Amino acid sequence: MVSRDEVMAALASIPGPDGRASLADSGALSGVTIRDGKVFVAIAIDPTRAKAMEPMRAEAEAAVRAIPGVAGAVVTLTAESARAVAGASPGHAHESKAPPVRHGRPSEPLPGVKHIIAVASGKGGVGKSTVACNLAVGLAKLGLGVGVLDADLFGPSMPKLFGIHSKPGLAPDGKRLIPLESVGVKVMSIGFLIDEGAPVVWRGPMVVSALNQLLREVVWGELDVLVVDMPPGTGDTQLTMAQNVPLAGAVIVSTPQDLALIDARRGIAMFNQVKVPLLGVVENMSYFVCPHCGGRTDVFSHGGARKEAEKLGVPFLGEVPLDIAIRANSDDGRPVIASMPGSPQADALLQIARRVADTLATGATGAKPAPRIRILE
Amino acid sequence: MAWPTDITAMEKGRVLEVAFDDGKVIRLSAERLRVESPSAEVQGHSPSQKKIVTGKENVAIVAIEPVGNYAIKIVFDDGHDTGLYSWDYLRRLAS
Repeated sequence: MVSRDEVMAALASIPGPDGRASLADSGALSGVTIRDGKVFVAIAIDPTRAKAMEPMRAEAEAAVRAIPGVAGAVVTLTAESARAVAGASPGHAHESKAPPVRHGRPSEPLPGVKHIIAVASGKGGVGKSTVACNLAVGLAKLGLGVGVLDADLFGPSMPKLFGIHSKPGLAPDGKRLIPLESVGVKVMSIGFLIDEGAPVVWRGPMVVSALNQLLREVVWGELDVLVVDMPPGTGDTQLTMAQNVPLAGAVIVSTPQDLALIDARRGIAMFNQVKVPLLGVVENMSYFVCPHCGGRTDVFSHGGARKEAEKLGVPFLGEVPLDIAIRANSDDGRPVIASMPGSPQADALLQIARRVADTLATGATGAKPAPRIRILE
Repeated sequence: MAWPTDITAMEKGRVLEVAFDDGKVIRLSAERLRVESPSAEVQGHSPSQKKIVTGKENVAIVAIEPVGNYAIKIVFDDGHDTGLYSWDYLRRLAS
């Protein structure tokens, strides 16, 4: 088996591009790969000197091929940017591996999208997607251009909640998807692309890459707000969203019971850690009014989310009742804000949307402008 | 919590200067940032796994990318680019 050290030793006998330091020490090696006894070496050079460098390349190839056990050697010259070549100084050249590889994407805003907000919960099953859907419809009712990104890849709910059963079309560029529209909201979900009931069984890296596609390879057009429905928890999806786009804020949904609030607190702590401002907390399933007798029951207790918000210094956005009309309309794909306008249920949700819109207009508490980043020569 | 307003690589990438909104300006050498990179490649997954990185006297910063609202990713000319430096971490390195 040929080792990297043997290759480097062979290259140490050959003068590098500057004619002084050896190839191994010159910092010009931009890649050494050994596969099945074959050795591939890339040498970064100034492209204007490609001809002059050819003898060096041939010499290096011969030297590597001469190593016992080498089945073949390919040495190529690559044109590096002047900076990368100049920057690789001899002091640490022995460690220089590949040229800087970009892992993931830098955090770029989405072109045309003014604010991206996350709806998260910590705990699953607290009605986060229902709130996210109605929040989006509510914001659209207030006159804003709104999109919804269903970031819950393992349990996409938006196709059902918006009653969308078609597949998204391809944009003329043949690459990007056109979001589907319902009640004035543009929606994108992995659920549009797979059969209902088909499981998505993926590890983290797949989630990250699919999420980036759903986010960036979609023709969102001009939007005031993109509402991102997060899956429960504090994992890959949350981290990807927090790292890859500048989030304008997060809405935390919780039921009033302690069991849900524990996880809501975790969600809040996570957003604090990654410096995403909190737009506020919604108490869902806040109380139940019996349709038969009119008596009220606090099934999941009451007021816990409000208390928690006050304790943590986070705005409280409102209470949404545990209600059969919200449940039934959601299952039918008719967001209650649109299908039952003027009802107490719709009003409760609309008020939350109004508070979110107001906060976005004035800037969430703790929201600070991104620092200016410069590289001076 | 102090928030950075300006992040500048200078002196051919050998120095990073960060100005915070409380008026404090910190200067960190690229070498310091490289050997104290928060990346798991350097820090491991527990303090006992921390690697001592040496020979980085001449390392330089070639790129800086924003990460969400809370950090920057620094790309060094030795190829290291997995460290995410949060505002808190930068501040801590300077203290």
